[in-house]
Amino acid sequence: MNAVSVQNVVKVFPNGAKAVQGISLEIGEGEVFGVLGPNGAGKTTLLNMISTLLQPDSGDILILGESVLRSSRAIRQKMNLCSGNANFAWSLTLRENLRFYALLYGMRGAAREAKIDALIDAFGIAPYADRRFDEVSTGTKQRMALAKALLNDPAVLLLDEPTVGLDPDIARRVRQYIRDYHQRSGCTLILTTHYMQEAQELCERIAFVREGNVLALGTPDELKAQVKGQNMEDVFLELAK
Amino acid sequence: MILRIFAFAYRDWLFARRNIFAVVEMLFWPIVGMLSIGLMGNFLRLERSMQAFILTGAISLGCLQVSQLDVAYALLHDIWSKSVKHTFLTPSGVVEYLAGPWIVGMVRGSIVFALLAGFSVKAFDFYLPGVVPTLLLLAGIFLNALLLGSLVCVLVLQYGQKAEISAWAFAYLFILIAGIYYPVTHLPRGLYQIALLLPLTYFLDYFRGFYGHSANLSYPLLKGFTLLAIQLVLAFYLLSLSLRRARRTGVLLRLSE
Repeated sequence: MNAVSVQNVVKVFPNGAKAVQGISLEIGEGEVFGVLGPNGAGKTTLLNMISTLLQPDSGDILILGESVLRSSRAIRQKMNLCSGNANFAWSLTLRENLRFYALLYGMRGAAREAKIDALIDAFGIAPYADRRFDEVSTGTKQRMALAKALLNDPAVLLLDEPTVGLDPDIARRVRQYIRDYHQRSGCTLILTTHYMQEAQELCERIAFVREGNVLALGTPDELKAQVKGQNMEDVFLELAK
Repeated sequence: MILRIFAFAYRDWLFARRNIFAVVEMLFWPIVGMLSIGLMGNFLRLERSMQAFILTGAISLGCLQVSQLDVAYALLHDIWSKSVKHTFLTPSGVVEYLAGPWIVGMVRGSIVFALLAGFSVKAFDFYLPGVVPTLLLLAGIFLNALLLGSLVCVLVLQYGQKAEISAWAFAYLFILIAGIYYPVTHLPRGLYQIALLLPLTYFLDYFRGFYGHSANLSYPLLKGFTLLAIQLVLAFYLLSLSLRRARRTGVLLRLSE
């Protein structure tokens, strides 16, 4: 069974913008799948529909065999999302924010606190854990966002430009966390990014999206061969034309 | 479900503890309202039962406003911190989303009621008609607060952040029509008909029957609780529809930007 099955999905916004125009994709369990494309291509819209935050106009998306249209609440228990420039309750500390979301995912007592502590340690935010969210740096906020996304041990993890706006060293650490978590958990990971190096490093397969359609789909090597490029930047420049 | 209700109560409690506005909402405005009405009553040399009658309006308004704000804040705090999408990404439903803050609202509302009633007893010779009528009035106020807070959330999901003003306006508007300082029979005809549709009207009238000067509405508790049950079911249904619409139109994501 595929972890995610996107079936001819269409999304047109009330202002008439055709964000996604009939995309179909099959993403295997445990796969790291990238969605690339220029600004306004429909990447984030696609990810938001997979996350159940946005409802498709037509078509369907199956997550672990369940439809986002019919079983969205059950799906949300098994999935999580981390987006770039993430925001959380500003007057709560990082630990309190994590506790709030852990409770929403049904985590109890000592096990919940142990999980929060483990994530705080794993993402190196222990020195800031008891500071208010609005008092910490962008990098720390982003690491907290990743910690939040792993609270429920998601079987499907969605990462929407998780390193946007981060210093290169923090971005590298975040990529390492993602790689480690994927190896450890075997979860399915869907990533959108504007950083071609990041896509090359992390993704097993990539869909290149433009104007709401999938223009190309394959491994990074297959895509490079397709456009006769040396790297993913060549792929991007060729396909984004 | 219980854990999720606790989660929303936990977050709302932390917001209330750390927000200076929450303290002002709980103490400043309700006390100003109660003092101005009590002093005006003294100046007019109102008899004791009449003074108690109008003070009931001021105390009920303070209590209703504080407790309904907590329910409305469920969504507003998410919007202000741009975290709407993360909250609605979790497997939470609208009942849990509102029930948690409502519990905190009842705690804060009870504190306001105790403070205002206690102060009024000392300063304005106020008296309560008994434990059971008082508890029934409080139950009515808190359920009305849940209703009003839910309607605020519906409006915000429908019309976006510009509708957040309703969080502060609704309680005043509703209690004005429900007969804040007068029996609803003194309202103009059109408003009187609207007042009969508001559950709060019946709870205030029931309570004020103990002081005299009520509108003598028949079966006030039965009508009040029945209207509440119908309107709460309707409000929760509307909220579910609004949330579904917000997921369809992208409003849920725009509220996170």
